[in-house]
Amino acid sequence: MRKLALSDEILMRIDKPARYIGNEWNMVKKDPSKAAIRFAMCFPDVYEIGMSHLGIQILYEMFNRRDDVYCERVYSPWPDLHALMKEKHIPLFALESQDAVKEFDFLGITLQYEMCYTNILQVLDLSQIPIWQKDRGSSDPLVIGGGPCAYNPEPIADFFDLFYIGEGEVSYPALFTLYRTMKDSRTYDRAAFLREASKIPGIYVPSLYDVAYHNDGTIRSMRPKYEDVPAVIRRQVLISMDKGPYPARPLVPFVQATQDRVVLEIQRGCIRGCRFCQAGMIYRPTREKSPELLKKTAAQMLRSTGQDEISLSSLSSSDYSSLKELLTFLIEECRGKGVNISLPSLRIDAFSLDVMGKVQDVRKSSLTFAPEAGSQRLRDVINKGLTEEDILGGAGMAFAGGWNKVKLYFMLGLPTETEEDMRAIPILANEIAAKYYDIPKDRRQGRCQITISTSFFVPKPFTPFQWAPMYAPQEYLRRAAIVNETTQQQLNRKSLRYHWHEADITVLEGLLARGDRRVSKAIFRAYEKGQIFDAWSDFFDMDRWAEALKETGISLDFYAYRQRSADEILPWDFIDTGVSRTFLRREWERARAGEVTPNCRKQCSGCGAASFGGGVCHEGKD
Amino acid sequence: MKVRIKFAKYGAMKYVGHLDLMRYFQKAIRRSDLPIRYSEGFNPHQIMSFAAPLGVGMTSGGEYMDIELTEDVPSADGLRRLQEQMVEGVEILQFRYLPDGAKNAMASVTAAKYEIRWNERDTLPTEQLRREKEAFYDNAAAIPAVKTTKKGERTIDLRPLIREFLIGQEGDGVVCRLTLSAGSADNIKPQFVLDAFFSHLGMDAPACGMKRVDLFTEKDARLLSLGEIGNDR
Repeated sequence: MRKLALSDEILMRIDKPARYIGNEWNMVKKDPSKAAIRFAMCFPDVYEIGMSHLGIQILYEMFNRRDDVYCERVYSPWPDLHALMKEKHIPLFALESQDAVKEFDFLGITLQYEMCYTNILQVLDLSQIPIWQKDRGSSDPLVIGGGPCAYNPEPIADFFDLFYIGEGEVSYPALFTLYRTMKDSRTYDRAAFLREASKIPGIYVPSLYDVAYHNDGTIRSMRPKYEDVPAVIRRQVLISMDKGPYPARPLVPFVQATQDRVVLEIQRGCIRGCRFCQAGMIYRPTREKSPELLKKTAAQMLRSTGQDEISLSSLSSSDYSSLKELLTFLIEECRGKGVNISLPSLRIDAFSLDVMGKVQDVRKSSLTFAPEAGSQRLRDVINKGLTEEDILGGAGMAFAGGWNKVKLYFMLGLPTETEEDMRAIPILANEIAAKYYDIPKDRRQGRCQITISTSFFVPKPFTPFQWAPMYAPQEYLRRAAIVNETTQQQLNRKSLRYHWHEADITVLEGLLARGDRRVSKAIFRAYEKGQIFDAWSDFFDMDRWAEALKETGISLDFYAYRQRSADEILPWDFIDTGVSRTFLRREWERARAGEVTPNCRKQCSGCGAASFGGGVCHEGKD
Repeated sequence: MKVRIKFAKYGAMKYVGHLDLMRYFQKAIRRSDLPIRYSEGFNPHQIMSFAAPLGVGMTSGGEYMDIELTEDVPSADGLRRLQEQMVEGVEILQFRYLPDGAKNAMASVTAAKYEIRWNERDTLPTEQLRREKEAFYDNAAAIPAVKTTKKGERTIDLRPLIREFLIGQEGDGVVCRLTLSAGSADNIKPQFVLDAFFSHLGMDAPACGMKRVDLFTEKDARLLSLGEIGNDR
């Protein structure tokens, strides 16, 4: 029988012990002693969140296809277990073998959002691996980060040995080969390995760079310490999506994951070019999977998991060119088998409403629109190509089809936002409600429910808004108050609900998103003060963070609230995502002028992603 | 046609709770492609019911789940197809067709048998425990115990709810065998009985391993295992 890392006594004392036992259906079992490379793949948040992440499942599949690699999973222990592990000095373990992470060759950590940074330190600390990279020795695992936050790895650079910039499918084989060659020939030594690894495309070894600063705190230069270490790291891109590994046998957790369903990735990238959206920039060019392959994998995954729901995953799914064909197939395939289809990010039009009517219970489900800004002027600034006619027309059709719940997502604090733009949010919501009440009483189902949610805008690296300033929390709350007050003045106010996001957490997210190497000491201090699970509002504590920032001399004024100049060296400038800085700057200027940029299928705007040699940039140009 | 499936749950699987286990079986049955019947309605679900939830931390040699099929599958096939979809720690033991009109598993449970083991040095010598048990149970007319519920505290008599209480020795371990009333009418948990017994001795109940051995229904004033109802086909 499998041994467990935690004793019965501990497992009986903690919440949801099944988070820590592994043994899920489709878990990969190998003899660890026969694997030349043991890789612990970590999502630094609780099991239910981490298990819902597709990227890890792809890499888990890809790595475990190799005989010489055993890839296992690690998640953040919940605070109840965290306390027990600290008290009893129990080392953090991987779920498959239940072996201690510190015995592994690699610890890979996926960086999906900034607010998990303290959890990275938690994972290192519980694993009994030195938190600071400089303190690690040759017997410690190599700690490698990847994922969207790796596009500005600097605030956490001092905790990592390596970062992988781009899509994992491409360069991991080279990294593993290098590691094995050095291990097999007994020439492995941590420093020598890192030096060689830095030459693999997409691999960034932060300890091999020096950063110098101006007196005003901005970066003067960032240079490799050695001539053979590249000055610029190019993002790795899987050009032919059909050739990538795909998990035909995804793990099926016991504890209900946030995404308790099969996830079918249909494309990567987005043609839209919304100026606030990091994903829309860093995953360029848009690349589709073929409908033939998707049909095959969908059927395979449903069969191998027994899941009763399948969800399409992509940015802006409506732009997938074979959507109709794929959905028709899925509806046919799932009909009569009790399998649901969930459809995120669909543009609301006659086609999508027809599909939704077939796969969802209309009375229970709600429609989602993400206009992001209330006024057309501001939507032009952010290049969100959704017009008021689109929204009202879509809502009108949906109401006629029996829906009566609508969710609206907006951002407050976008560049150039005026009070009029803020007030436009509830006014738009009111018009949607009015559209509902245009339907004769006997043909509608009671009152409609329009939910307005606003988050506060966070400028992200590699977007046209990467230079933009943020506001202090009280200013965000003032803006939310204006929206709230205007909501109360609307004729249909009884049908409107308004929620807004927390302001403190937003500002901190902004600081971490655009921080430089000096920010690491503030993260470390926050962890020392007991901060973990900052992405969870129950655990986020702004007072502790404020102390940590103050004690380490990290200022929000400098990192979050400051307008950055066009010629400033940004901490992430050493990364080449394929989308040029010139393009981003041009987009920033166009934003300020309220000029819209057409989507990639309408017209190429020369962002630079064509250099990858595939995807939408080369569609129909064989 | 109704099928009663008997299974064992052990090892790490004892930490998988009842709701999670239900979801696990729903997916396993879907993978096995057994012709299970679905409910009507917009979100059809499998017709499936469990005899009695098993507490987290407890293993079991006799768990039951009733399902409805739309067509006959030979018992040996059904058992094999389901077993192929099991993880380590769940074993399918029987796949039996219930006679027409048989009560479902949940409604028929009246008693449960447990095996509880602990280290002798954590309590008293087994012989002494056995004598104490005789005074506590065998020779007692009533065993008053305080039960705390959401509505407050009330005193109940444990004596009629304990159908069997044995203490024995295996190696340096104590084995306690309890048969307790279970089901919707009079349900009592083994930990509660253990706590009452040890508190009578003026000590805390020891850390122990608990196994539910089997579930029973009452027939002609005697206990009949749920697994004895129905037939292979």
